[in-house]
Amino acid sequence: MSDAILRRVRPEQFREFILLFVTVGLLLFFASQIPNYFDPRSVNRLTTGLAITLVVAVGQVLVVLTRNIDLSVSSMVGLTAYVVGTILTRVEGMHPLVAAALAMAIGLALGAINGLIVAYGKVPAIIATLGTLALYRVVLVEFSGAKTVTTADLPDWLNDVPSATLASAGGYDLRLMVGIALLVAILGQLTLRYLPFGRRLYAIGSNPEAARTAGLPVQRDVFTAFALSGTLSGLAGFMFLVRFGNITVTAAQGLELQVVAAVVVGGVNIFGGSGSMVGALLGVLMIETLQQSLLRWAGISEFVKDAILGLLILVAVTADTIILGRLREMWVRVRRRDHARAQVAIADEGGVAHGA
Amino acid sequence: MAREILRRLRSWEGLLLVVLLVILAYNITRVPNFLTIGNQVNLFQLGIEKAIVVLIMTFVIISGEIDLSVASMMGLSAAVAAAVFEAGAPMPVAILVALGVGAGFGLLNGYFVAVVGLSSLAVTLAGYVGFRGLARLLVQDRSVGGFPEWFTNLGQRGLVGPLTLSILIFAVLAVIASVVLHRSGLGRLTYVIGNSAQVARYSGVSVARTKMIIFTMSGLISALAGVLMAARLGAVRASTAEGFELDIITVVLLGGVSIFGGVGSMIGVLLSTYLVLNLRNGLIIAGITGNTQTGIIGLLLILSVLVPNLAGRVQDRLRRRQVDPSMRAPPSGAAEPTRSQAAPG
Amino acid sequence: MNVNVKTRRFLTGVMCAGLLAANIGGVTLAQTPVAGSPVAGEAVTAEPGQDVKMMLLPKFLGILPFDQANQGAQEAAEELGNPTPFDFVGPTAENSVAGQIEFVTNAPAGGYDVVMLSNNSGDQIVPSAVAAQEAGTRVVTWDSPIPTGEGESLFVAQVDFDETGQVMADMALSILGEDGGQFAILSASPDAANQNAWIAAMESALEDPKYDNLELLEIVYGDDQSERSYEQAQALISKHPDMELIMAPTSVGIVSAAKAVQDEGLCDEIKVSGLGVPAEMLEYTQNGCAPEFALWSFVDLGYLTYYVSYLLATGAIEGVEGETFVAGRLGEYEITKDPTRPDVDALRVLMGPFTVYNIDNVEEAAG
Repeated sequence: MSDAILRRVRPEQFREFILLFVTVGLLLFFASQIPNYFDPRSVNRLTTGLAITLVVAVGQVLVVLTRNIDLSVSSMVGLTAYVVGTILTRVEGMHPLVAAALAMAIGLALGAINGLIVAYGKVPAIIATLGTLALYRVVLVEFSGAKTVTTADLPDWLNDVPSATLASAGGYDLRLMVGIALLVAILGQLTLRYLPFGRRLYAIGSNPEAARTAGLPVQRDVFTAFALSGTLSGLAGFMFLVRFGNITVTAAQGLELQVVAAVVVGGVNIFGGSGSMVGALLGVLMIETLQQSLLRWAGISEFVKDAILGLLILVAVTADTIILGRLREMWVRVRRRDHARAQVAIADEGGVAHGA
Repeated sequence: MAREILRRLRSWEGLLLVVLLVILAYNITRVPNFLTIGNQVNLFQLGIEKAIVVLIMTFVIISGEIDLSVASMMGLSAAVAAAVFEAGAPMPVAILVALGVGAGFGLLNGYFVAVVGLSSLAVTLAGYVGFRGLARLLVQDRSVGGFPEWFTNLGQRGLVGPLTLSILIFAVLAVIASVVLHRSGLGRLTYVIGNSAQVARYSGVSVARTKMIIFTMSGLISALAGVLMAARLGAVRASTAEGFELDIITVVLLGGVSIFGGVGSMIGVLLSTYLVLNLRNGLIIAGITGNTQTGIIGLLLILSVLVPNLAGRVQDRLRRRQVDPSMRAPPSGAAEPTRSQAAPG
Repeated sequence: MNVNVKTRRFLTGVMCAGLLAANIGGVTLAQTPVAGSPVAGEAVTAEPGQDVKMMLLPKFLGILPFDQANQGAQEAAEELGNPTPFDFVGPTAENSVAGQIEFVTNAPAGGYDVVMLSNNSGDQIVPSAVAAQEAGTRVVTWDSPIPTGEGESLFVAQVDFDETGQVMADMALSILGEDGGQFAILSASPDAANQNAWIAAMESALEDPKYDNLELLEIVYGDDQSERSYEQAQALISKHPDMELIMAPTSVGIVSAAKAVQDEGLCDEIKVSGLGVPAEMLEYTQNGCAPEFALWSFVDLGYLTYYVSYLLATGAIEGVEGETFVAGRLGEYEITKDPTRPDVDALRVLMGPFTVYNIDNVEEAAG
C-alpha cells in the first residue's frame, strides 16, 4: 500500500476493498475445489440466490445505521409471501406489478407498526422486533389455517419470473430478480450518499442525543427507516413467493439471522453510524457464497458443513478486522510522519527566515 | 441521577411482579392441578436449562455484549458428552470433557471479542453456526442414549424431595449470580464496562479480562445446561436445544436488562424467568398452541416496555400542565430523564 | 420414589394395566356392552358419546398433511359424539422437539386422557411419555413412533415402514429403468425418525440384485423448509451432472425439488419422486417432472388414530397384542407387534395402503 494512497483516503474506505478481497479469495478457493464452479449455470444459480437476502439487507442497513435493529424481517417476508400468494390464487388475472405493489404495501404496514413502537413508543428496537418476529409469524399461522400455497394454484406468469432474464452474455444471465435487487441496493446507496434523509441516518446512529439536540427529526427518520425495511421485506416476500412457489407457514424462518450476519460481516457497525450498501452487498455475497458453495462441495460430508461455515465466518470477520486494523496503524504512521515532516519544514522555514 | 435509575428499576420490577401475580392468579383459578407439587416441579423442569443459561446471559448483556452461541453450545456439550461416553469413557469423564469443551470455546469467544476486538454479535454468530455444526459432526443423524441410570435419574428424578439436581443447581447459581453481580468487584466492573467501555477508567487489561471471564463462564454454564438437558431427556441428538437462544435473550430483556448494556438487575431477571415459565405452563395446560404461546410472550415483551412509556408520557404531560404556569416547582423525577438525556454533558 | 431404569419399563406396564383397570371400572359404570376383556377374534366396536379429553399433537402446525390428519380426527370425533372436542395443538416448527416434550409433560396436569402424538423428538420424548403414562394419560403415536417404544401405548402406522423403503426403491427403478442410473435423496431433517427409518429401509431394499444398476449418490437434508429444500435440490443438480433422479420422502422436500428442477428446465433429464401430497404435486406430475410418487391418506390416518385412542381411553380395548377392533368406515384392524422395530417391545396398528400416484390418478386424488 503506497503512502500516496494512504494520504488521500481513510482506512474505513478500504473496508469494502478488503471485503471484496476476502470474498474473491473465497471464490477462488471454492473454484479450486468444485468443478465447473464458474460455469454459467452455477453462477446464475448463485446470483439468483443472492437477490432475496440482498433486498432485505438493504432495508436492514437503513435501520442498523440508526443504532436500531429489525429482527422481524423473516416473519414479514414469510407473511407477505403467504398473503400475496393466497390472494393470487383467489383473484384471477391480477397484474404482476399490482401483486408486487400489494406485497410492498403489506410490508410497509408491518414495518410501520415496528416503526411506531420503536420511534414513538420508545421501545428498544431489539425488544420490539423480537416481539413482532413472533407476532407476525402467529398471524401467518392463524391466517393460513394450515393450508399451503402451491405453485399449481398460482398464475402462470409467476412461474416464469424466476428464469426471466434482463441481459445475457455468454450464458451468464442477469436475471430479473437479481436486477431488481441490485437496483434496490443502488437506490439505497444513492439515498445514503446524496439525500438529506440518508445523511441524517448516519448522524442519528453516531449520536442520537446530539442529533435530537441539533433539531433533526429523529423520531420521524427512525420511523421511516423501519417502514422502508418493512417495504423492502414485502418486496422480498414477493420475490420469495416467485422463486420458491410453495409457501408454508415456516417460509423464510431464520432469514433474520442470515441478514444480520451479512450486514455485520459487511462492515455495518451494529451500534449505528457507519456502514454502506456496498458493504452490505459484499456481506450478502460472502455469506451466500459460503453457504451455497458448501452445499456444492462434493468432497465433504453433509454433517461437516455447518462446522466449516462457522469457522469460515469467524475467519472472514477476523481477517477483515485485522487487515483494517493494520491499515489504520499504517495510516496513523503515515499521518504522523507527514505531520512530523511538516513540523520540520515549518521549523526549517523559520530557521531560514531567521538566518536571512 | 442514581436515585432516578433506582426508582425506574424499582418500578420495572414492580411491574413484572404485578404481571406475574396476574398470571399466577389466572393459573391458580383456571388451571386444574396448577398448585400441585408435581406441576410446580414440571413448570421449572421444562425450562430449567434455559433458566440456568439466563443467569449468565444477564452478565453478558449487562456488559454490553451478546452471546448468540449459547444454545448451540448446549447442543455441542450434550453431543460431546454422548460421543465420549459412546467411545467407552465413563460418564463422569464424558461430563468433564463436555464442560471443558464449553469453557474452552467460551474462552475462545471471549478472546476474539476482548482481545482481537471483534463484535460479539459476529463472533458468537460464527459460534452459533459452528458449534451446532460440530454437534452435528459428532452425532450425525443418530440419537445417542443408553446413559447410566444414575445419570438419567439425576436429570429426571427428585434429588431432594421432588427437587431435581437441575433445579437445585439453578437455585444455587441464582444466589451466586446475584451476589457476584450486585456485591462484587467483577459485578461492578460488568456494569461499568456495559455503561461505556471508553469511559471505564479501568485499564484495558482488566476490561479484557472481565469480558474473557464472562464469555468463558457463558460457555461453561451453557455446557453444564446441555449436559443437564441430556440427563433430563435421556437421549442426545444434534438438534438438542436448537432455537433456545432467542428464548433466553427474551427472558433477560423482559427482566429489564438493557440490550445496550449497563442496566439491569438479577431480581428483575429472576422475576421474568418465573413469569415466562408460568405463562408457558398455563398456556400449555389450557391447550394453547406453540405459535400462540410465542406470540403472547412477544406481545408481553413489547407491552411491558410500551405501556409504562406511554403512561409515563401521559403523566408527564399532565404534570407539566400543572407545573408550567407557576414555573417555580423544581423539575420532578418523571419529567427529568428526557430532558437530562437530551442535553448530555 | 427412585425407580431405576431397568424396572421402569416393567413398572410402566404394571401401572398402565392398573390404570386401565380403573378405566374399565368407569366404563362398566356406564354399562357399556363392549366393555370387559374382548374375546380374541371378536372385533370391538366403540360405544359413542363417552367423554374423553384428547390432544392431537403433530410435529408442528401449519403444513397440509397434519391438517388433513386433523380433518380425519374431526370426522371420527363427530361420529363418536365425544362431548369434549379434542385439542389440535402443536409447537412452533423451530421449537418442535422441546415444544412436544412440554406438551406431553403437561398433558396429565391438563386432564388429558390421551395424547395422539406424531413424534418428532425421537427418544428424547421417552421420559415425559413414561411420566404421562404413569400419571394416567395414554400416549398413542401416529405418523412417527417413539423409536424404542417406551412410553408409547401403541403406534398407528400409516404404512409398513419397510414397505415404504420398498415402494421408494420400486419407484426409482420404474423411473430410471432397467439400465438404472444415479439418484440422490433429499430428506427432511437428519433427526426425523420416520424419514430416517424409510431411508434405511430403502437402502436395505436396494441390496436386492434387481436394483444393482441404481446408484445412491448421497443423502442431503432440506429441514422441511421450502427454501432450504429448493437450494439443496439446486446444489444436487450442480454437484452431480449425471444424476437422473431426486428421491424426496417428505411432502415439503418433493415439491421444492420438483420446482427447482422445473425452474432449471431440466425436467427431461432429472426426475423427482418420493412421498408427496397429490394436491401439491398435480402440476409436476402433469408436466412430467415428477412422473410417479406415493402417499397414504393422512385423513384416514387421523381418523383411525382418533378411533384407536378413543377405544383405549374408554377402556374398550386394552392395547395388547391380538386385540381387534372396528374403526368406523375403515373397517377392522388388529393390534400386533411392530415388526419394523424388532429389537424393542412395541405394538402397532397398520393402516395402509400405499397409493402410488401418476398421470392416471393424480388429478382425481388432488380433488
